[in-house]
This record gives sequence, structure tokens and C-alpha cells, in this order.
Amino acid sequence: MIRLVPRHGGAVRSGLWGLGLALCLALVSGAAAFALLGADWVQAYAAMAAGALGSAQGRMDVLIKAAPLIFTGLAVALCCRLKAWNIGAEGQFVFGAVGVALAGLRLFPGGGAWLLPACLAGGAALGALWAAIPALLKTRCGVNEILSTLLLNYVAVIFMEHLYFGPWRDPAGFGFPGTAELPEAAWLPLWPGTRLHLGLALALACAVLLWLALERTRFGFQCRVLGQNPEAARYAGFNVDRLTLTAFLFSGALAGLAGACEVLGVQHRLQEGLASGVGFDGVIVAFLARLHPLGVPAAALFLAAILVGGDQLQTALGLPGAVVRILEAALLFGVLAGDWLAARRLVVTRAEAGHAG
Amino acid sequence: MTQTAPLLSCRGLTKRFGPFTANEAVDLDLFAGRVHALLGENGAGKSTLMHMLSGRYRPDAGQILLSGRPVRFASPAQSLRRGIGMVHQRFLLVEPLTVAENLSLSLGRLLHAAEVRALSERFGVAVDPQRRVEDLSMGERQRVEILKLLARDASVLILDEPTSVLVPEEARELYALLRALALGGRAVVFISHKLEEIGRTADEVTVLRRGRVVARNLAPASDLDPAELARLMTGSALPEREQAARPEPGELVFAATGLAGGEGTGFSGVDLQVRKGEILAVVGVAGNGQEALAAALGGVRPFAAGEIAFLGRSLPARRWGGQRGSVAYVPEDRHGRATAPDLDLVDNFLLTSPCGAGLLPDFAEAERRVRRAMEEFRIAASGPGAKARQLSGGNLQKFILAREMDRRVPLLVAEQPTQGLDVAALAEIQAALRRAARDRAVILFTGDPEEALALGSRVGVMYRGRLTLCPGGSGPQALERLGRLMAGLEAA
Repeated sequence: MIRLVPRHGGAVRSGLWGLGLALCLALVSGAAAFALLGADWVQAYAAMAAGALGSAQGRMDVLIKAAPLIFTGLAVALCCRLKAWNIGAEGQFVFGAVGVALAGLRLFPGGGAWLLPACLAGGAALGALWAAIPALLKTRCGVNEILSTLLLNYVAVIFMEHLYFGPWRDPAGFGFPGTAELPEAAWLPLWPGTRLHLGLALALACAVLLWLALERTRFGFQCRVLGQNPEAARYAGFNVDRLTLTAFLFSGALAGLAGACEVLGVQHRLQEGLASGVGFDGVIVAFLARLHPLGVPAAALFLAAILVGGDQLQTALGLPGAVVRILEAALLFGVLAGDWLAARRLVVTRAEAGHAG
Repeated sequence: MTQTAPLLSCRGLTKRFGPFTANEAVDLDLFAGRVHALLGENGAGKSTLMHMLSGRYRPDAGQILLSGRPVRFASPAQSLRRGIGMVHQRFLLVEPLTVAENLSLSLGRLLHAAEVRALSERFGVAVDPQRRVEDLSMGERQRVEILKLLARDASVLILDEPTSVLVPEEARELYALLRALALGGRAVVFISHKLEEIGRTADEVTVLRRGRVVARNLAPASDLDPAELARLMTGSALPEREQAARPEPGELVFAATGLAGGEGTGFSGVDLQVRKGEILAVVGVAGNGQEALAAALGGVRPFAAGEIAFLGRSLPARRWGGQRGSVAYVPEDRHGRATAPDLDLVDNFLLTSPCGAGLLPDFAEAERRVRRAMEEFRIAASGPGAKARQLSGGNLQKFILAREMDRRVPLLVAEQPTQGLDVAALAEIQAALRRAARDRAVILFTGDPEEALALGSRVGVMYRGRLTLCPGGSGPQALERLGRLMAGLEAA
């Protein structure tokens, strides 16, 4: 008889064992999905790899796609430090984009050199503001943040649609829904000769800053204690409500920066297709990175490669676009199951017939 | 007592948790008609052993024999069906339900009050079927638990530290009940680490040390020398009691009048004073309001009313929480409140340490101080990077006390600091508290009247939310008096 029994001392500390398991589980369930769709899974994975990494174009797409994923992954990982669950990075991403449009198109339409920083600040501020709502509901009224952050995502998306279908619609847009294009002074600078914008560098800087903040500052220390034992945090005299609010504000600001960089670096306007699930993908990134800020960029690159490679499946093999989402789901379940398995070990016992008693 | 075959015994019983061996090759014999005491320090493996006998844990090796025949239990329910019942330290009762309803739940059929009364008479266990469990004293709840097992025809009764929640009066009643149950042909075994308890109650004693039996079926217990038992338990002689002269009380540090907690906290009209160099011992049975009073004095929960003079400065008690930085507080709950079990010792040290203040906590300084504390307080841990949960109860308590003493603030509030500790750790903690009192005021909350008398410069009793200061004194009369005050049998 083979049994799984909990390991003493929890999961293997390296965490690599669980991560490896996660990837294997994801690969296997992805292969099963391909098989069900009638495709050859070896061929499918080969097409994905070629699409993401086989050309300069593909590699560039991966880097561009990774930037917002790093931001939203950091946003989710930060809240997880205090065992608060921010599933609202998508909404905060959207409000970050709205903040950019507000600063760039409404407040300072004729802005100069300081327009880009103003737009970034506007994005971060509105992202934080949107995260403040569930944070205040949690600390003041005890509303579960999982529900409020999740549901506010849909509110945010509809609100943005209202803006670009209605009051902020570009009058010169030939009837297409969307705002006017931002002034070029607000665009993020590009790496010469490529489409790669400064957002990736900003995201990497944020990852390092967040890591330092969590490891070295009193704020990070307090988050750590609050996440491990709220009663100990109260005992130590920490202001638990203020701490929770602060963490959500920073988390929202990070997700807001994701939306801001997406607008300032790629789309240059609010329009259909902007909210494409980057916030939800942040959850997968954060957990793939084991909630470690320095692991987030790697996890974001990996997921970006899957997303970019997955797009190739449609053209190369004629598979439905939704197959990418299946792969993403397999990845998340793989991470969860991997953690569960890594905290256990296999025990082989002799089958014993008939328990007395 | 006739020498017959044991009713329940085990041979070579072994239980491992990961790399840690909790019980190794344990042999034990329990006879019908005898009260057996299982003695050992904390972490000696007493509870693990009892949990294997009662079906909660499965042994990794060895055999359990019931009336000479090997048995295996997959669950506590299964072992209870075979007549082995356990009363846990934390009672398994549904508090809003009545005694009769709780018994009905356990028996799986509805019992009328008359049937409960019949059971109560038959076994000589006095309970009132109509009362709700939440209104009962700890002793009464314990009797309900015992009756639950008797109603299921348990022939082996296992009790985990049964007297730890009782006042002395109730403990004496329990001893009498255990004796009567044994005379009725049952095997009774109880876990203890209190030496004096053994002599009064047990017919025979088994001593565990580090998971192994070091002395089996010593009998009869009343003939045993406590010092010898202590040596068996710890493997060394008891540490000498520090008999330093008590320092003269100095300046008045904390004086309060009319302290009251919010609704439901259960204390009011509390007046107390404590000077530098003094230990004010507050003793009471659990549930008389001292938990809430301790938390409020520690600045963790608010007072609702009262006046406080702290170092000569007076302030309303409601604002006492703002003084959290000037009071060191050792809460009762070591894992749940005083530490974050999954963080390392450095992080846990920073919880209340001044090195944790400011934008950037001084991790290096905290690590130095943890190392110093580990040396000074002889804390057994792999290093400052050890997780709090990896420390034993005694070592964690020493760590918490070291952290709070390191703060050098004028007032220390310590709540049940020696609860559940083994003899050696208990002596060390008590010595540390005496040291702490040299240059600060200490308020000690304890459930143990002997500890209160031994440590306290003055002793107060909490009963139904009121604090009564008692006149000093020592010896058996003082202890007797304290016990009566704690039980509400006497007013000061």
C-alpha cells in the first residue's frame, strides 16, 4: 500500500521540488488538453517554443508581455505577505490605465517633459485608490477582500468602457470606441530599434525595491508578522488596520503601474482589448514565484512565453485560442498541487489485512 | 491488591514524528483496580503514549494488549468501543448545550434527565443534567467528561493533566473519585508533572524521560521520595532554589483604582499597586477575569474605566494602551500571541524590542541580543535563525521572558509564565522573574497558589472579576486559605 503522509517541518525548503512538480503537472495536463483537441502534443509544444523563442520578433513579444505581468505579480505577492488576497489586480490595472488617460488627455493635454511622470503617477494613484475600496471595506466593515477585490474588477472594466464609449470617446475616431491618442511626450521611451519600452525596466526596479522593502524595512517586517500571526501583531502594538490599508495601497499602485505602462508603452490610448486578464495572470505569476519579489520577473517571463507561444497554436495548428487559458489553468493547479505534494512524502507500507478493534 | 494480569499493556511501543522519536520501545502495564500515574517532564512523551493507547495516534512499532490480546485502533472511537476512554486537557464538550444533551451526543441517543441522574448515581459522579456546560466550573465539566466515558462502559480511563485546571478543593474531590472508580474494577491512569500530586493519589508510578520508560510500575506511590522522582524525571538533581533576599520595595511604579474591562471581560473595581523591587502575584481559577485584566494591563486590550498613576503621572485607564511601549507583557498564549511560530527568533525578538522601531529595524543588533539571551537564559535552540515553533515550551518561554526583560521598562506583566513547564524550566523561569523584580515592578498572574506564595511579595486573589489582596504568610495554612479564597468559599 502506498500512502502520502505529511512531512514534518512542512514543504521541502528549497521549494524547487514543488516548482518542478508544478511544471510537470502543467505539462502533462496541457498535453492531455492537446490530445483531447485532436492535436499532437509534441508538435504543439514545439510550435509554442518556436513561436515564443524561435524568432527575434517572438522574443521581443515575450519581453513586452512580461512587463505588466511583473507588476501585477508583485501586486498579488505583496498582499499575500499579510495573508490578504488581492484578486483585484485586473481592476487596479484598468484604473491605472484610466489614471494615465485622465492625466494625459484631460488634466494636462498640452503637457511637456513632465507629462510622462505625471501620467505614471496618475496611473499609480488611481490603481491605489481602487485598491483602497476593498481595503477599507475589509478593515472597517470586515468585508472579505477576496470577494470585494474580485467583483470590483468587473466594475472597473465597465467603468473604463463607459469612458471610451461615452464622454472620453475620440471625436475624430471614425466611430471606433476608444479615447484619442496620448501626446507623444507621454509615451514611454523605446529601446532603440525595437518596440521594447521602458516599462520592463521600471517593473524590474519595482521588484528589487519591493524585495528590499519586505526584507529590510519595518513595513515589511510588520507585514511578515501580520501574515504569520495577526494576534502577535496586535500584541506587538502594530496598527493592523493601517498596515493592511498601506499594503493594499502599494499593491494597487503596482497594478496601476502595469496599466499605465501598457497604455504609455504599447496602446497609447484606452480602447477595446486593453483589459486582457493581466491582473488575473498576476495571481499565477505570484504563486509560480513562490510569492518572492525576485522570483516574480522569472515567473512573468515564463508565463509571457506561454502566452506568446500559445498564440502561435492558433495559426500553426488551428487550435482554438482558448487553449492558452487551459494551459494557464493547468499551471495554477500544478502550482497548488505541487505545493501540496512537496509537503508530503510517499510511504510504502505492507498491506495489512483486517484491523482488529 | 492482588497481582493479576494487566488489563491494558503495551510492549515496545514506538512513535516517531519525522526525525523526532516521541516514544521509544515503551512497555507499560495498567491493572484493574489501580490508579496509575504517568510522570515526566514536558516533551517526555506522556501525551503521545496516551494518544496511542486511546487510538488517536498509530504506533510505528510495538503492540498494545487488551486483556492479553493484541489490538489495533484506527480511531479514538474504536478504542472507546473497546473500553478505553480519554479525558483530554481541553474538554470536548459543546458549551451551549446542557449536561444531558452532551451525554446524549456522546451516546448517540437521547437521554432524559432521569436517566442521567441514574447514571450519575450509579457511578458516583455528581452532575446536574439540566445545567448548561458553559455555566459549569472546570471541575464539574471534568466530571461530565468522565461520566461520558463511564456511560460508554470504559474500563480504562486516561486523564491528561486532570488537575491543571482545578482549584485545590476540586482536585481533592477528583482524587477521591479516581480512587472510587479504580475500586470499582477500572484501570485509571493520569498524566502529571506535579510531584506532590503523585504521592496523594497514585498506587503506582511510571516515569518517562525523553520518550523512554526510566522506571516502571514503582509502587506504592506514597512511599516514593519526591526528590528521587524528580531525579528520575530530569536525569539530574533539582536546581537549587535561589534564596536571595528580597530587595526592599522601591518607588511606586504602577497604581490603579477602579479598573474595569469592557463588557464581557469580567473584571471591575480592581485596585492595585506595585512598587519597584516587588512581585505582585495575582492568583485565580481560570475564568475569573484575570485573563482580561492581564491583557489590559499589558496594553493589548483596552480598559473601560479606572484611573492609573504610572511613575507618578496619572492618566485615565482608557488611554493605557498608548503606554504599550513602557510595559513589558508576557502573555499566556506563547504560540498564539507572544510569538509568530513560523518566523525565526530574530523576527520574534523584534516584535517588541526597541531595535524593531524606526523605519529600518536593526536586524543585526537583534541577532546579537538573541545570541546573548540564548546564553544568559540557557535557551536550547539551533540558533537565532530557528523558528519559534521549533523550541520546546520551556525554551520558548525563556526566550519570551528574555525579550521582555531586555526592554528594560519599569513594569513587567507576566501571565501564567510557568504553565505546562517541566520542573527544570519552571525553576529557571521563577528565578528569572525574581531577577526581573530587582529593578522593576512585576505583576505575576498565575493559577498555582503555591507559586503565588513562593514568588509574590504580596498576593491577590481574583474571584468573579474582583481582586482581593490577602495578608501574607506561608506554610500549609496560607495555602489552604488561598485555595478557599480562589474557590469563593471565604471572603478576605
